[in-house]
Amino acid sequence: MVHTLKQEEVSQDRMSASLKAKKFVLWLFVVSSTIMFGGFTSYYIVFAASKGKGHGLVLPDVFMYSTAVLVLSSICLFFAARAVRRQNIQTQKIFLWLTMLLGIGFAYLQFDAWSALYQSGATLVNNNAAISVIYIVSGMHLLHILAGLCFILNSLWGAYSKVQPENAVYRIEIASIFWHFIDILWIYLYVFLLLNS
Amino acid sequence: MSTITLHDTHNNDHHDGHDHGHHEQSFITKYIFSQDHKMIAKQFLITGIVMAVIAMGLSILFRLQLAWPDKSFPILETFLGKWAEGGRIKPEFYLALVTIHGTIMVFFVLTAGLSGTFSNLLIPLQLGVRDMASPFMNMLSYWLFFIACVVMMSSFFIESGPASAGWTVYPPLSALPKAIPGSALGMTLWLVSMVLFVASQLMGGINYVSTVLNMRTKGMDLWKMPLTIWAFLLTAILGILSFPVLVAGVVLLIFDRSFGTSFYLSDIVMGTQVLPNEGGSPILWQHLFWFLGHPEVYIVIMPALGISSEVISVNSRKPIFGYHAMVYSLIGITILSFIVWGHHMFVTGMNPLLGGVFMITTLIIAVPSAVKTFNYLATLWRGNIRFTPAMLCAIGMVSFFISGGLTGIFLGNASLDINLHDTYFVVAHFHLVMGSAAIFGMLAGVYHWYPKMFGRMMNAKLGYLHFWVTFICAYLVFFPLHFLGLDGVPRRYYAFTEFEFMQKWVTVNIFVTWAAIVAALAQVAFLFNFFYSIFFGKKAVQNPWESNTLEWTTPVEHIHGNWPGEIPTVYRWPYDYSKPGAEHDFIPQTVPYSQTMSSNMPHDFEGNAESERIQREWVEKQAKEKTTQD
Repeated sequence: MVHTLKQEEVSQDRMSASLKAKKFVLWLFVVSSTIMFGGFTSYYIVFAASKGKGHGLVLPDVFMYSTAVLVLSSICLFFAARAVRRQNIQTQKIFLWLTMLLGIGFAYLQFDAWSALYQSGATLVNNNAAISVIYIVSGMHLLHILAGLCFILNSLWGAYSKVQPENAVYRIEIASIFWHFIDILWIYLYVFLLLNS
Repeated sequence: MSTITLHDTHNNDHHDGHDHGHHEQSFITKYIFSQDHKMIAKQFLITGIVMAVIAMGLSILFRLQLAWPDKSFPILETFLGKWAEGGRIKPEFYLALVTIHGTIMVFFVLTAGLSGTFSNLLIPLQLGVRDMASPFMNMLSYWLFFIACVVMMSSFFIESGPASAGWTVYPPLSALPKAIPGSALGMTLWLVSMVLFVASQLMGGINYVSTVLNMRTKGMDLWKMPLTIWAFLLTAILGILSFPVLVAGVVLLIFDRSFGTSFYLSDIVMGTQVLPNEGGSPILWQHLFWFLGHPEVYIVIMPALGISSEVISVNSRKPIFGYHAMVYSLIGITILSFIVWGHHMFVTGMNPLLGGVFMITTLIIAVPSAVKTFNYLATLWRGNIRFTPAMLCAIGMVSFFISGGLTGIFLGNASLDINLHDTYFVVAHFHLVMGSAAIFGMLAGVYHWYPKMFGRMMNAKLGYLHFWVTFICAYLVFFPLHFLGLDGVPRRYYAFTEFEFMQKWVTVNIFVTWAAIVAALAQVAFLFNFFYSIFFGKKAVQNPWESNTLEWTTPVEHIHGNWPGEIPTVYRWPYDYSKPGAEHDFIPQTVPYSQTMSSNMPHDFEGNAESERIQREWVEKQAKEKTTQD
């Protein structure tokens, strides 16, 4: 049996293989980023174990609100992704904008939390390095939020410039992988800081 | 029933302009901001060579100081100005020299120069891929590396000089800008350079892993990959898992230096001034640093091991001995390398029980390393050896790996290491096992794949000259250092004449320095050969070493997308050399078993009953023909 693969099929194949590989690239980035935060938190664990003390603070309530906002943004992004798959561009735009706004809101709340910490006397420059770690991990996490917002923007850009459906799915998929990752990452960091006071 | 699939390749050239059309490229997109993996490989290689020459020059400078601590070399003042006033290198600058020599050699030459060059060149070519998963990220990876190099070198042009706290930049020395001149701006530049470097390595490594796991050509399953690719894959995984930890450590160090936090600082008095920093611990930096630092030495050596496997097998005209064992030992090294970092810290007051654990894990690494060594020797054994320059370098690599590896067993023992820590014994150990061995692996790769990179051959005679002088001198340089170490001579000391027990070693230092100078001069042969051959070397044929792997099926002239038509399909493993019954002594991976009936072995078919039946019938038919002829 002989059949000829049409050119379109071949380039389609190659295209989706390349998208798959690019998505895998993002997963590997997620791994390496996790390891970096693992580095910070293991610094914390070893520090706390050798000094016999953690940060010893009651974390400001703002962190709780910011966590809620971030989780909400993740849910919005989930609905946006569903809208993309159903090719409902209007809903997609609304939910992407919501995700975006909630993300920015999260960033604002993190700054708020820092100022609450600062006013309570738990400053970045501190003779208890465990307190400084709070600033470092939330700061590094905020950098990830910034990158995540770029992914969301990229997806929004795709929605407005009416890219091909596969391309739109690809854009929202990488945005989702990254955004849900930083969501879970923040929950991990928050719980870690709560448990190891 | 079989299915034959014909790809409609005639239309390819204009249609798939999206990824690999053959459009004309401008000078800038072809040579500078290239996204083609072959060009990026060459960029990494040439930058790596330039950095290696610089780092070698630095080592000659401090070797001069070690050999003739009381002598004046007016020429040094001409070049170095205030850092060599009166023709003698200042102590501060001596420390900067060893620091930057180590940093450049470990990170810029043997990590980026080695992995960057050969992963980029060989992963797509040996796996049958048109380009990396993300060519753009690949380009970014090179340019971040380039900027990191520039930032690192720029520290030679600032008032306070380059970083001087050793390549491991231990705090508090590195964390206090006022501690030594080298801890001022030079240290900041070092840290910035390293952050850029790590970003570059992560982008590169992530790309390599994704390409290897997702984009192999038809028929190329993991167990048909050449050992080079296995080594690059595991090296990249190692990098992805360990470099981020260095970033974490560096971020904390930057905050300590520039913002006044106390992650690594406590109880410090400078002069009469008590510093406000309290509560940190410099040991924590060592943990974070060596969690990267130890895998790093395997990031350096594993590509060299992979390259040697390939070169030795090709030039012995024999299958590599123990292919699976080679892969499993690489995997073993990869996993073990994450649980041995404590052996760098036996003298930090570590709990002896914990020290014992690290000692055992360290010594276990000797097992996969020995498996690899014996496999190399078994591959060479009774092979039909072709002593090309690449082969000599690969054998040299094995030699250094053995002689340097043996002292690793000494140092892995806590009870010995506590005495030998920070002596020249350690210097001798790692310069042999990871310095010389990795450099020789890299040279083997350059000599072997030069025809693939530049379409021309390097001069073999100059190659032999370069190899023998470098090989002998490397031993003459590093072997005597063991004895200094056993006598307790500490590393990084500026003048051997200042200490009575070290004075007797000055003569040895003079010998070592002369050997180093001769070795450096031998590199001129290499450099001339390398750059001359790019333009005037003998034109290479398509498969100059009669090798099996896919890269030799591409045309000599480079094209974007590697193969002009369809990507070849792979049918067999890459090590079918001197197979009994075969027409030639090598069978490329693209030759199906149906074309090599006379040399097929029962295990070639991996239990496929249909293929076994066809082979059996063919053998019976041959036998019948033979009897009728008789």
